Amino acid sequence: MLVEFELVKRAREGDHTAFTQLVQAYRKRILGTIARLIGRPEDVEDVGQEVFLRLYFSLDQLRSEEVFEPWLYRLTVNAAYDYLRRQRRRGEARMADLSEQHVMLADAAAGSRAQQEEQRRRQLRETVQTLLANVSEQDRMLLVLKEIEGLSLKELEKIYRVNENALKVRLFRARQRVLKALAAAQGAAARAKGSA
Amino acid sequence: MATFERGQPRDPLEAELDRLFAAYREACPDPEPSLDFMPRLWERIEGQRSWTREWRRLTEVLVGAAVALSLLLGVVLARREPPASFYTSTYVEVLAANYSQEGPLDPEVLAIDQEIAP
Repeated sequence: MLVEFELVKRAREGDHTAFTQLVQAYRKRILGTIARLIGRPEDVEDVGQEVFLRLYFSLDQLRSEEVFEPWLYRLTVNAAYDYLRRQRRRGEARMADLSEQHVMLADAAAGSRAQQEEQRRRQLRETVQTLLANVSEQDRMLLVLKEIEGLSLKELEKIYRVNENALKVRLFRARQRVLKALAAAQGAAARAKGSA
Repeated sequence: MATFERGQPRDPLEAELDRLFAAYREACPDPEPSLDFMPRLWERIEGQRSWTREWRRLTEVLVGAAVALSLLLGVVLARREPPASFYTSTYVEVLAANYSQEGPLDPEVLAIDQEIAP
């Protein structure tokens, strides 16, 4: 926990100062998680605001202060999932397409070392996001929380309210699909290198 | 399951995926929230709260109006005089009264009744 249970209790009781402190303590971590879940830096703050808005209006439903963090993560996952679903409905350009545009812009501007480093990061983000696109949005989020955010199975169990074995199976299948996509990508890269 | 057997020799592909995930984590650091993050959040909270308050007020008005209307209808119906044709006797009594007014039954019906009777 990043804060004392007492602070959560006060926020639950309607103390605005306590709620502000709570948001300030968690916002950076939550924004980071959202960034890695949705893969669109420009929309991270909006989704983050949605998470804390939902937190404000659902604090009274919190069973106890001890389950605050899993509760907050559940709200984060739900808000990220809603965002991705909205994006899919709107039929906007997929992440990979957007990244391609960004890469083209960055290519034109790349010159300095910092820009090159940023380009390397962007390409890495694009690679991982393309690999993760091979699993469903729910599985992708689960995989991100486990493999990238480093949450334990126990923590995931509390967030998803699903037993550990079911989570293990889902994670295993999702990871196998991503591994398959990685193998295919590596094979394609090797063939391209061979023909060049 | 391969994912959780941490002590075992790793498949190179598995190791590559783990390396990619770690690099992705490093390439996506936690972003700094903007300076207006909290003011914007409170603004949204206030906006939603006022909307909720309005909705609650409207609901209360509608519920109040429905209750008042129900009471009014109840009073009006209770005070209303019963109509002239209001039935004070049972169906059987009305039938019996009609029967006596219309005179004796059809002789054919009476004959059938007598045949059936032991």
